[in-house]
Amino acid sequence: MSPVQGQPLLELDRVSRAYGEEVVVYALREVSLTIRAGDFMAIIGPSGSGKSTMLGLLGVLDLPSDGVIRIDGVDVGSLDDAGRSKMRGESIGFVFQQFHLIPHLSAQGNVETALLYRNLSRKERTDRARAALDRVGLGARAGHRPVQMSGGEQQRVAIARAIVTDPLLILADEPTGALDTTNAANVMEIFESLRSPERAIVMVTHDLAVADHAERRVSMLDGQIVADEIRLPA
Amino acid sequence: MSRYRELLGVAFAGLAARKSRTLLIMLGPTLGVAAIIAAVGLTDSAKGDLKLKLRELGTDLIVAEASSSFGTDTPKMPADAVPRALSVPTVDRVAAVSELSGVVVTPYAEAASVYETVPIPVLAADSQLPSVLDVTMVTGRWLNEFDQQELARSAVIGQGLAEEIDMLPGESRSIDVGGKAYAVVGILERVELDPALNNAVFITFGSAEEDFNDEDQEPNKLYVRADPGTERDTSAILPIAITLGGSTEVAAKIPTDLLAAQSETDTTLQFIVAGMGLLALVVGAVGIANVMSISVIQRSSEIGIRRALGHSRSTVGLQFLLEALGVGILGGLLGVVVGLAAMWAGTNLADWVFVLQPWLPWAGLVGAILVSMLAGIVPALKAARLEPLETLRLG
Ligand SMILES: Nc1ncnc2c1ncn2[C@@H]1O[C@H](COP(=O)(O)OP(=O)(O)O)[C@@H](O)[C@H]1O
Ligand SMILES: [Mg+2]
Repeated sequence: MSPVQGQPLLELDRVSRAYGEEVVVYALREVSLTIRAGDFMAIIGPSGSGKSTMLGLLGVLDLPSDGVIRIDGVDVGSLDDAGRSKMRGESIGFVFQQFHLIPHLSAQGNVETALLYRNLSRKERTDRARAALDRVGLGARAGHRPVQMSGGEQQRVAIARAIVTDPLLILADEPTGALDTTNAANVMEIFESLRSPERAIVMVTHDLAVADHAERRVSMLDGQIVADEIRLPA
Repeated sequence: MSRYRELLGVAFAGLAARKSRTLLIMLGPTLGVAAIIAAVGLTDSAKGDLKLKLRELGTDLIVAEASSSFGTDTPKMPADAVPRALSVPTVDRVAAVSELSGVVVTPYAEAASVYETVPIPVLAADSQLPSVLDVTMVTGRWLNEFDQQELARSAVIGQGLAEEIDMLPGESRSIDVGGKAYAVVGILERVELDPALNNAVFITFGSAEEDFNDEDQEPNKLYVRADPGTERDTSAILPIAITLGGSTEVAAKIPTDLLAAQSETDTTLQFIVAGMGLLALVVGAVGIANVMSISVIQRSSEIGIRRALGHSRSTVGLQFLLEALGVGILGGLLGVVVGLAAMWAGTNLADWVFVLQPWLPWAGLVGAILVSMLAGIVPALKAARLEPLETLRLG
């Protein structure tokens, strides 16, 4: 059943993340946040404020030291590695600053990698990956390998890979950080086009130009949320 | 199941993407398997001609012979020795012969004195003899029931004797056996396992009793085919079964025993060379483990993104284990090919008979796969344990 706009997709309930054993450093301290279907959110803050830590927790790549994270109502802490992996694969699509495409696979192969091990037929994988590439305007480049593509094109392949599973949440980490202004604008346009009442898009960035595209802005400082504002479209 | 098929595809793509690295680490299993096959195969082939002969002759023929500690007369078995031998459950077929003493064969009247000093053996034989010895007729036919019952004076001569007296195939001749003219009805092929038969003259038991002996002509020798694999036990039981506690003594032996001993492979040499192959396999495995461990570090971005895309730790670990498996299969197959080629070249150069134990290539392949899988465990665990957060380099 697909979510309706405003329904909570991901909840952080007084979540802390501490590092170190003797000298404990809190990267996040008792943070509560609810991400809802339809959200288009930017998480901003200066270096060291806890953005990367937040992204790791939102993406189920990390577990909190304290507090509860629920995705679609499921307590992430109650899952084992296989369960958390399944959760990532089914509910979250990642876009990274460094693209992280697998170099020996074609664009098509990279997108299909997100569809492996889910009992899909080969044809279904092929068709869905092709549709996702079409969606980012790279259908014609399906057979090309990452080295044959520009940075902007590689990031668009990464976006296709993130959306091919139709996730509840798209998590982007400085998605334009490695791109020139033209390509950055192009990528932001694609993010705009991905907005839907049924899913949430969360971008972690220190780039205010990127953050300006978002409708909801969460500001962090010293491991805490200091502002959570809804902004009207400019 | 589709999960494992997809995993195989992913692992294969990983190997195919790094062809020179893959070929390099295939070298270990390839050389190891090739060395083992060449070592075992060539040491076997060094005795290949003897092994081949042994295989042709079979090892299931037993010769039971009457013997006597007094040893003046030709010792004989009981008249019902054949049914007694057949009563042993592992006995398949039996043929009896009986040597006639004091009967002189004279192929040429002119050379009579020669054949008196060096007599040609005369044997009474039953109709089963060629079948039990597994030999055929060079020409003509073997003694049959008609010859036996009608006391027809028919004789078969051995191939060696036929050559000695220049008897041509198709030629009709008679031969003087103890003063009686016997028609030569056939020439028996050379008997490898009992060369004495090559120069003998064979007549039926009926004719032997009629022409040369008033009493029953009792057999003195039985040729016995045992069920395959039972020849040892059968030859141990046969003397007891034939004598049944009587006064005759019977000794049973397997004529291929000597040949079998001669054709034994030099196992010491085989162990040494195969051991070196095994060492190459182990060294190769260490190479696989090292190169793949480095590869895991180089591919940490790939591993991180796969984890982010929902591939579990065990799936990623399995992917690398399957790459090692692929190296084992490809390297092992190549090793089998190279090993067989080395054997072919070696046997040709040394003029040996190519002898390959059918299990050998399989053993090599399985060995390569096992060793490579073992070598893949460490890199697979490393890949599975990588923390995606640490490899994805978040901003
Ligand atoms: N693996 C780690 N071990 C120890 N301290 C860490 C680790 N990761 C982050 N930190 C600390 O947590 C705080 C927040 O870091 P981070 O989440 O990377 O912030 P940002 O991404 O906003 O720069 C920093 O003080 C950082 O030094
Ligand atoms: Mg950071």
